Amino acid sequence: MPIALFKFPNDLLREVLNLCDPFELYKLSKCSKKCSQKATMLRDTKMWKIGYYGGNDMTICADGSNYHFKKTQKPRDYFKTERALRFGRYNDYMYIEFPKGGSFELFVYLLETFGIRTVKSMEALFGKLHNVSKVAKLLMDRKMEIEEFRINKIDNVQDAVNIMPMLSQMNITQFFECSIKFPPDFQFEFVNYPSQISISKSFWLNINQLSNCTCTRVHLQQSMLTNKELNVLLHEWKNASALPNLRVLEIESNNIDNQSPILDMIPPIINANNPRVSIFNKFYDTMIDGVQVKKNDGTEGWMRVDLGYRPALKLFIVDPADTVVEEIPEDDDDDW
Amino acid sequence: MSSTEQGTSSAAPAEPTTAPESAAAPEVPESFYYVHGKDKVVHKVSAGALQHSALIHGMISNLGYTEEQAKANPFPFENIDGDILQMVVDWCNQHKGKPTPPEDTNLPKQKEKLFDLVLAVNYLEIKELLTYCCKQVAMMVKGKSPEEIREIWMIPTDAEDEAAEKEAKKRAGKEAAGETAAAAGDAK
Repeated sequence: MPIALFKFPNDLLREVLNLCDPFELYKLSKCSKKCSQKATMLRDTKMWKIGYYGGNDMTICADGSNYHFKKTQKPRDYFKTERALRFGRYNDYMYIEFPKGGSFELFVYLLETFGIRTVKSMEALFGKLHNVSKVAKLLMDRKMEIEEFRINKIDNVQDAVNIMPMLSQMNITQFFECSIKFPPDFQFEFVNYPSQISISKSFWLNINQLSNCTCTRVHLQQSMLTNKELNVLLHEWKNASALPNLRVLEIESNNIDNQSPILDMIPPIINANNPRVSIFNKFYDTMIDGVQVKKNDGTEGWMRVDLGYRPALKLFIVDPADTVVEEIPEDDDDDW
Repeated sequence: MSSTEQGTSSAAPAEPTTAPESAAAPEVPESFYYVHGKDKVVHKVSAGALQHSALIHGMISNLGYTEEQAKANPFPFENIDGDILQMVVDWCNQHKGKPTPPEDTNLPKQKEKLFDLVLAVNYLEIKELLTYCCKQVAMMVKGKSPEEIREIWMIPTDAEDEAAEKEAKKRAGKEAAGETAAAAGDAK
């Protein structure tokens, strides 16, 4: 039996619309522009976020669930939904016909239909960098927040080189990940840092950039940083003139060796004395047998530098609210 | 606990009949109030059941009626159809003094009445029942196609919206022209 929903008073209509998920609101948008606009105005979608991966799958993160809009070319499957376990949690899928402009046009449609203000995650997957840079330009124009941006698995490195300057204008707030092997002459400087960066081929990130880094977590692999540079950087950190927000620093560099000190200690820097100590923080990072270091203001940190096949420096800064520092009982040796 | 009687007016309600309580008898005598809808049928409802309605609860608190006064002055809800009010009263009685379950199996089943029921429940400010009703309205379109949603929720097409807008503009234009002509006539 039909019910004239849009004749309800607005407060009542809002109650009903708040029970509708992104799939239903999307279908509603296909019924009527006017009703869709009203629904967007009334429905509490301000906290909804969108995920874009350049391909034929777009995600709306709403009310703790992920709703995937997937492309299908079979009309009989339009608006078909299913639920599947993915990465340990249930995800909902709906098959739709993509607009003629492809994923970019769908992205714009979803932004406007749901009044979305934040991009949860953006990633260039499977060589779809063209679409990603188009979306990135749009987000820059609209000054929208991008919480996480990943650039991995690119077919053509030059595409990645071309997109990097856009990062300076993108408002990436939480996480940046890059696993591209850029050409040796590649240069890039961050204007603003998100909370975390993870760069797996990070030869291009030099000590001056790192010194100005405002991240809480820094994870670099294949870095070129030397003992001397790290020593300077950590002395600056000690006197609070570098890495002001740092909680975790992890750097793998083949240039770390036992030829010069880092914070007055020659690597390897490992606590070989009892009691042994483990440090565990809210980021699920663990360090064992680290050496205690202190900033001039008294802030406590723990550092460990390993040599060998993959020389690496690890520094954790302790926040008593979320870091557990505990002694390892002597008879637990074998467990570690 | 509800009782009904046909044809009584709000000014002089006849003695309503009383059906047996489903819940255990309370230790202290319970007070009752009276409500009627558009059809003037008076329903006798316990104060406990009426607590679900923030509107009626507020009225009772403000008026401070004795049982006799309440009987003589049923709360009139002229904007609510009698059968809808009956559903609401039944629901309030079924849920008197009980925590409302997450999935309510006592919801009125007649979907054709849902629109009026939602409006009534919203007016009477019965939060839990409103939540259930809204959920039922939302559930009506689960898994449906846009075309089915349009039918279920009676959504006009864009073309129909445009035509209605044009018509409204035309009407407004005519009315404005009529008013101008009348004003000019008055001036003469």
